[in-house]
Amino acid sequence: MGVVLRNLQKVVPLRRARLRKDVDTLRHILGIHKFDLGIVCVDNHRIQQINKIYRKKNVPTDVLSFPFYEDLRPGKLPCPLHRDEHNLGDIFLGVEFVMKQCKEDSLDLHGTLAVVTAHGICHLLGYRHETEEEWTEMLQKESYILSEYNRLTGRHLEPLMKRCSQER
Amino acid sequence: MLKSVVRVVGAAVRISSASTSTARAMPLSCPTLCSPSSATTRPFTRSLWMLNSKGASSDYRPKLFSSKALNPLVSCGCGALHTEGDKAFGAFLSDEIKEEAKIQKSTTLPKMSGGWELEMNGTEAKLTRNVAGEKITVTFNVNNSIPPNFEEEEEAAADQGQPKSAAAAEEEEDIVSTPNFVVEVTKQAAKHSLVFDCHFPEDEMSHGEGEEESDIFAIREVSFQPEGETDWKETSYTLSTDSLDWALYDHLMDFLADRGIDNTFADELMELSTAAEHQAYIKFLEDLQGFVKCN
Repeated sequence: MGVVLRNLQKVVPLRRARLRKDVDTLRHILGIHKFDLGIVCVDNHRIQQINKIYRKKNVPTDVLSFPFYEDLRPGKLPCPLHRDEHNLGDIFLGVEFVMKQCKEDSLDLHGTLAVVTAHGICHLLGYRHETEEEWTEMLQKESYILSEYNRLTGRHLEPLMKRCSQER
Repeated sequence: MLKSVVRVVGAAVRISSASTSTARAMPLSCPTLCSPSSATTRPFTRSLWMLNSKGASSDYRPKLFSSKALNPLVSCGCGALHTEGDKAFGAFLSDEIKEEAKIQKSTTLPKMSGGWELEMNGTEAKLTRNVAGEKITVTFNVNNSIPPNFEEEEEAAADQGQPKSAAAAEEEEDIVSTPNFVVEVTKQAAKHSLVFDCHFPEDEMSHGEGEEESDIFAIREVSFQPEGETDWKETSYTLSTDSLDWALYDHLMDFLADRGIDNTFADELMELSTAAEHQAYIKFLEDLQGFVKCN
């Protein structure tokens, strides 16, 4: 029913209200407004710690997702029986990492955070990008989400997957 | 409780000095008052006997406290009570002050970034800043600003008989003060200030284990208060964040961040408060030492 937003870092000046509004827009597009979601903004040190513990990668990254439901079919929303289970999970945003990327690519921080959050929500909904097939499926989903977002907000955001595919 | 014990001891001394010409509690070994066979083996009984007996002199009133350990130890001519306990206490305080001074990071308080001016009034600190015609004031008190977790963990470890490891000893030194603080935002020529009652959520203080998932600081209440008034106006509506719309809460946090009250400020405030509290603690120990030695 709600988004729990936490800012644990002091490196990046974050606009909490703007981030919350963007997350709410994404939830509306995906039809997941009945589900709780956690968004935690952290710095490079913290995201690197978490990346090391859970993915054995001792480097900072832009986003890490911790789904409540671990075996969802991509795009299939869970059907919880109890109120406590209306939870999709938590997303950790490596805002310092994202800020650095934005400076390098001359991008707007909060717009990029919206893209990164969309990517994170897709992971909570079961999307993966381990195989070529999964990659294509996730890219399609992200493209749809952001095209709707752009239509609603007048902005011009591109999927994270698309940017990554250009680098491959 | 300490004060009532002092008053009882003081009263006993006054009673004893009024009743005899010597104004001194009789030692148990005094041969005129006790038989050699009983004094040294059962001193407490002897004291009770003396209390109940009418005594050789009608003016004699036995003392309530006749233990040798509580006899005043006059070490100066000030007329105040100086006991063996006071002497030991003074020596303990001397060591304690030396130890605290050793671990004190600096004798001066750390500076806050962002152009804040600091004013100390005893244990109360006031930070002031002007931002484009707005006056921002942050007030906090270092009293009761150490979370109980620190004391509970030490006691728990002591109860379990655990010897203190080097890591635990190091952690013991890292006591952090996390005071509640009040932010007042006053616009020019305004009758009211917008006042935020803020705090450091307790679950954030998990001693650096890396499991914190609360904001570094949080807003508890928001209210409009008459500008310049020190007393809180109870009839002004106070918004509690307990059941507040989260979007409104985020706007309030952004409002504060625009005025310099952000996570960086919160961290620096903790450092300032920790240093101020430590300073006040050492001063208190020094004052206590002076009081115990000679008033």
